Amino acid sequence: MIDWIQSNIPPWVYIAFIVHFAILGTVAYLILLERKVASWTQDRIGPNRVGPFGLFQPLADGLKFILKEDYRPAHVDKILFTIAPAIMIIVIIISIAVLPWGGIKQSTRQVTVATQTDLKVAAATALPVGMNVIDAKEVGSIPPGTNLKGDAVPRMSIVDATYRWPFQITNLNIGVLFIIGVLSLAIYGVVLGGWASNNKYAFLGALRATAQMISYEIPLGLSVLSIVVLYGSLDLNTIVDRQAHYWAGFIPAWNIFTQPISFFMFLICIHAEANRAPFDLAEAEQELVGGYHTEYSAMRFALFFLAEYAGMITTSVVCVALFFGGWHFPGLGGDVDPTNPSVTTSMSICIVRSIVIFTKTIGIVFIFMWVRWSLPRFRFDQLMQLAWRALIPISLLTLLMTALVLKFGGAMSETYRKELRIDGGLATIFFLSNVILIALVMIVSRMIPAAPNTNHRMRVIGSRYHPVPAPLTTTN
Amino acid sequence: MKDSDILILEEPHLSLGDQFYLPQVLKGLGTTMKHMLKVLGGTDRVIQYPEERREDMPVEDGGMLLQTYRGVHRLNKDEEGRPKCVACFMCSTACPARCIHIEAAESPWDDREKYPQKFDIDELRCIYCGMCEEACPCDAIELTHEYDIVGLTRQEMIFDKAKLLKIYDETVKDEPM
Repeated sequence: MIDWIQSNIPPWVYIAFIVHFAILGTVAYLILLERKVASWTQDRIGPNRVGPFGLFQPLADGLKFILKEDYRPAHVDKILFTIAPAIMIIVIIISIAVLPWGGIKQSTRQVTVATQTDLKVAAATALPVGMNVIDAKEVGSIPPGTNLKGDAVPRMSIVDATYRWPFQITNLNIGVLFIIGVLSLAIYGVVLGGWASNNKYAFLGALRATAQMISYEIPLGLSVLSIVVLYGSLDLNTIVDRQAHYWAGFIPAWNIFTQPISFFMFLICIHAEANRAPFDLAEAEQELVGGYHTEYSAMRFALFFLAEYAGMITTSVVCVALFFGGWHFPGLGGDVDPTNPSVTTSMSICIVRSIVIFTKTIGIVFIFMWVRWSLPRFRFDQLMQLAWRALIPISLLTLLMTALVLKFGGAMSETYRKELRIDGGLATIFFLSNVILIALVMIVSRMIPAAPNTNHRMRVIGSRYHPVPAPLTTTN
Repeated sequence: MKDSDILILEEPHLSLGDQFYLPQVLKGLGTTMKHMLKVLGGTDRVIQYPEERREDMPVEDGGMLLQTYRGVHRLNKDEEGRPKCVACFMCSTACPARCIHIEAAESPWDDREKYPQKFDIDELRCIYCGMCEEACPCDAIELTHEYDIVGLTRQEMIFDKAKLLKIYDETVKDEPM
């Protein structure tokens, strides 16, 4: 039985189970953390009644959501109203699939297969699907004969198969693209939910979310692109692997040092992407009474809520993988191949790596919350101005800068040409280019003409405040 | 509203930091972080209510100033245990919220003419202004320091004479007349 499981169930099945439940569990506790952070910034303590330090609060909240009345107002579009939260959570859970958790695990297992000229292919048949067999050595053989039933059995080889599998649910070589593509589908949940609710506030929230999403997808993609250009790969695992070394012997070669501007762009855009303050115009409790989820209650509302937090986790893991070296932590390299530090033979290293990436993720999520309770919401025209007049030009310039530095600096760097790794010299050039770029942006931005004043006063003739005709006036 | 009614304000001048958002954003984040660290260091401004009560705390730390606190009413009794109230209707006349309802009857005692047969105070209507206490000529109605009065129905929150006299018995030790 165990033998059958080992040869037929691929490890990603277990990883999928563990990651799925770990993330949903974390989401519950992130809601507690959010409330705690809110309290701390406001000189309060936060929930502390349910269990020690309020640790059972998420259980109480979950129970409440399940037991509440699942109310659906009259005249809603029943189908869309139901599937909107489902779309949201499904999309987020799908995006979890390609997150890199622990590099690549190398295992060795003895399998008995019929002798073939290519033992690697033969060994692969005895292993679960998707295992990358890198070495197969024959250590013994069984001569051909007959089995108990009298059937002829060919010569069998006992093979020590060495194979590698990614310690993640699935290793897609277009991982980043997949996540950005799938996460942008989450907007359908918001738009459909807002449309189906038959409520003007929900509708306004959905409208805002659409415009916001269109604007912020662009700088998000561009800032990811400057990392992708750096390594020539869209595979998150490869991107992390290339960051897993040191400059000057002790500085971890993380992209936060080579691409700080891109990091800030990315951070701002994932705030907008996750509909979090100060970009939460789609929810805007004060003006839109909750925006697209105004009419939702009970578990349907909880799904929106869960999706928001799970989305935060996903985008934060991507952020960590792109800019903070993913699972890489000083002293936590691979033990097989120095040029390929993501490969490890030890399961415990894989688990420690998962814990490291998870801790870093929580750090980024904390920034989300910290920002939420510090900054007021943008006005809508400010939001658009930030995207179109600041983020998009700057991220385009960053991309250009990356390309130029790689063209001229990368050619000089031996390490970069051979392994596509950024060495200390190239990193210094990158850092200085970033500083120069930001200085340039500051100087140039003062020279370009100011934005037109968007705060127009509308003609109010004929309204009850202005019964007599009057000339059109604008402030300023 | 006319155009002349509109005040056109100059926008405040933005410093370099203001213009580029991020420096000021970081400054704001610093402020909130300071507060977070302060709370995590143990200096929050929370009173853990049922365990910690404001009346037990010094006024400087957010405690209640008991001399002036106006809580739920009580009907005072005299030395013989009779309600001091003489049903003069001064309090219900003075009451701005009109929450005091008195029905007078002939007193069974010789030293006064009337006594309240019914004395109801709607504690939900009451605004706890203390005018009844000011108006009372014989110190019969008083506001105590009790504030945690609860009830499951509105009817429960209309305190009758018996209840108000009971509050006197309960609070007479803490707040002698």
